[in-house]
Amino acid sequence: MTEPTSIDVDRFLPHPPEKVWRALTDPERLAGWLMPNDFVPEIGHRFTFHTEPRPGFDGVVHCEVLALEPPRLLAWSWRGGTLDSTVTWTLAPEGRGTRLFLRHEGFDPDDPLQRQALRIMGGGWRSHIMRALETSLADQP
Amino acid sequence: MPEPTATATAATATATAADAFTVDVFTAVANPARREVLRLLRDGGPRPVGELAEHFDMRRPSLSEHLRLLKDAGLVTERRVGRQRWYALEAAPLRALTDWLAPYERFWNDRIDGLADLLDAERDDIDGPPNAGHHD
Repeated sequence: MTEPTSIDVDRFLPHPPEKVWRALTDPERLAGWLMPNDFVPEIGHRFTFHTEPRPGFDGVVHCEVLALEPPRLLAWSWRGGTLDSTVTWTLAPEGRGTRLFLRHEGFDPDDPLQRQALRIMGGGWRSHIMRALETSLADQP
Repeated sequence: MPEPTATATAATATATAADAFTVDVFTAVANPARREVLRLLRDGGPRPVGELAEHFDMRRPSLSEHLRLLKDAGLVTERRVGRQRWYALEAAPLRALTDWLAPYERFWNDRIDGLADLLDAERDDIDGPPNAGHHD
């Protein structure tokens, strides 16, 4: 089954992959849309993202560059609070733009602290991946 | 992006129903073997326990434990047919999982909105495909 412990998002961006890649890998641009960081596009480079602390989370996300294939594939480890996870970006040319895929995996459903921390952040969006899974599951007799 | 409103009420109702089960769905899916059982039941429909056992390198009592836990979480139902126990998937409690990860998915959607805005605001100094032009 689709791993129920990961998040998938995909988005069409009307810009070429090279430009999207630059926004993902240039530390200043990355800070502009994600978080302040000391990212360097180099496999094995360790870096951090900084955000506002919350209960159960000091606001620092510890990362390491795991994959780097410009302008197609970028992966970081993502450790913060009780999370020990991986974020993978995949870029695919589509028409005049780019289809950007995000997979954030490694959520531990059996970690009460992690669940509590996530609940504090509030509810909202439902994953279309999970909805597709549910639909598919619901079709079973 | 899909609108969440249509399913919100159903999800709430499901969560309330799921509270009646003794094992929560998070514990149930935390184990890879139990996820595999769910996948087998999803892809192959209801199956007798013996058929499920063929897919696992474990003793039958261990599998029975997993099935009992899935049943206690409301994720499978058990039916006796002759001498065999059949198991079927109940998908509804999985909605609790979606609600669990929803804040993170919202976080990423918001950030990618920001990425899209940043890209739109930048001068197009990186060319697109040869015949794409600069119409965006």
